[in-house]
Amino acid sequence: MSLLIGASTIGLILALLALGVYLSFRIFNFPDITVDGSLTFGASVTAILLVRHVPPVLATLAGFGAGFLAGALTGILHTKFKIHGLLSGILVMTALYSVNLHVMGKSNLPLLNEKTLATAAEHLAMRLRGGEQDVGILGWSVGLRDLSMLLGAVGLVGAVGGILYAFFCTDLGTAMRATGDNPQMIRALGVSVDFILILGLALSNGLVALAGSLLAQYQGFADVQMGIGMVVWGLASVIIGEALVGTQRFGFLITGAVMGSVLFRLLVAIALRWGLNPNDLKLITAVFVFVALVAPNLVRRLRSPVPKPNPA
Amino acid sequence: MLDLDQILKTFNPGTPNEVRALRGVSLRLERGSFLIIIGTNGSGKSTLLNAVAGTFLVDTGRITLAGQDITRWSEHQRARLVGRVFQNPFSGTAPTMSIAENLAMAALRGRPRGFGWALNARLKGEIRDRIRTLNMGLEDRVDNAIGSLSGGQRQALTLLMATWLKPELLLLDEHTAALDPKSADQVIRLTHEIIQKDRLTTLMVTHSMQQAVNLGDRIVMMHRGQVLHDLQGAERARVRPEDLLARFDQVRRREQLDPAVAELLQRSYV
Repeated sequence: MSLLIGASTIGLILALLALGVYLSFRIFNFPDITVDGSLTFGASVTAILLVRHVPPVLATLAGFGAGFLAGALTGILHTKFKIHGLLSGILVMTALYSVNLHVMGKSNLPLLNEKTLATAAEHLAMRLRGGEQDVGILGWSVGLRDLSMLLGAVGLVGAVGGILYAFFCTDLGTAMRATGDNPQMIRALGVSVDFILILGLALSNGLVALAGSLLAQYQGFADVQMGIGMVVWGLASVIIGEALVGTQRFGFLITGAVMGSVLFRLLVAIALRWGLNPNDLKLITAVFVFVALVAPNLVRRLRSPVPKPNPA
Repeated sequence: MLDLDQILKTFNPGTPNEVRALRGVSLRLERGSFLIIIGTNGSGKSTLLNAVAGTFLVDTGRITLAGQDITRWSEHQRARLVGRVFQNPFSGTAPTMSIAENLAMAALRGRPRGFGWALNARLKGEIRDRIRTLNMGLEDRVDNAIGSLSGGQRQALTLLMATWLKPELLLLDEHTAALDPKSADQVIRLTHEIIQKDRLTTLMVTHSMQQAVNLGDRIVMMHRGQVLHDLQGAERARVRPEDLLARFDQVRRREQLDPAVAELLQRSYV
């Protein structure tokens, strides 16, 4: 049970990563590799601030801000300096590796004795339950610490998902969705596509950094390696989410990305329990994304060998 | 109103692919006039429209619109003054978004966009009312994705979007060329209605001589990046599709001669 709760909590935290990847990959169709660097950036900025006894809420917001700036930089490299999108992300990601080492001062920064959002959630739960260590749920005894973090993650991800949904319903958010859909059209309606792309990538990496910040607080340390392969992880979550909801409506896709992230993390936890070698994890994730990207086309081709005439 | 002064544009200068697309075009459009541009393929008529829209910046020359020098303005800045309908019916709308959302974005053409809700009940009601005037039965489907509509329906909606806020200048780039004849007729009728109702200053490119003669109050024929004929007033009123075709023939015959010889002949005999 503790395994499932732990996996769900990490899945929820990484759902913010999935939302960020959804924004860049799906809304803009922009393969943004910055994610690998900005996840760690969020974690390292939050960690160093926590070590310096900055209140956890502020430290977490600073982590979001750090990712926001990193994403904006990628957007500026791409739009203002006309660097290929993929390369812009690679440049910023590579630079961030050094930046992260400088921010933390070393490659790994433990947070075991610091006040974090995780300890805050735990304290709150303790006070509400009057000092009990365990809670019984459906006959299972569950650690209060684990439960409080899970509920905290649910609340946070729910709030962020709700805000993102609301943003997409505003004039600015609608213009952002249209930019990915048809840039020519939104330009003809007076929107600077460059500005929207910079803003969108900033927002996307802000969410990713927020995931990194929360992950560091949850696991009790920030590590310079923690972002490696996270783009693919996020993409896998988004793809699973799309399969789960099966529509193109963004409200469903946001929910789908969250569900996809949790489901993916649970599957991984179970696979590891059954003896999957952790070293193979990234390989399997990559293969999974490959299959998920290729399968729909393959299935379509197998189903209808004769191309149908376009009804339009 | 719109004033083009000696517009020059060369694509890929200094390379084997060099194209001198616009070679000193000057045009002056009065407020409320409806100018039709015709011309052979590659004559620069669409390029001229794109130069006005800001798709690229011109090499030399000046573009003035509604009293403002917009020569150096970017495309999205010009959108404040200019409404556009493209040749490709898929270019003017965002396919995965709903009809209502597309129109809501058009209702803010060229205006700042903030954190207000894109759609509210009042705007949605207005969208339904305006869509009803299209007589396409789309007013009950405003929440459907626009990508599910036919080319003709999408082009009609694009026209509605381009003119939702009355533009200083309406640009129509062969906007019925990709439609079937019935839809094309429908869109042309709608174009005529909207331009009449709002007295819009319009620049329209077309391949159809019939459209050129039926619509508009002035016809400009372009050839090789220059204005070849400019028919206005009484001359415009007399013109028939056959006359325009005859002028095309004239151009074609001249084309078969060497350009230098043609120049000479023109000067001595015409």
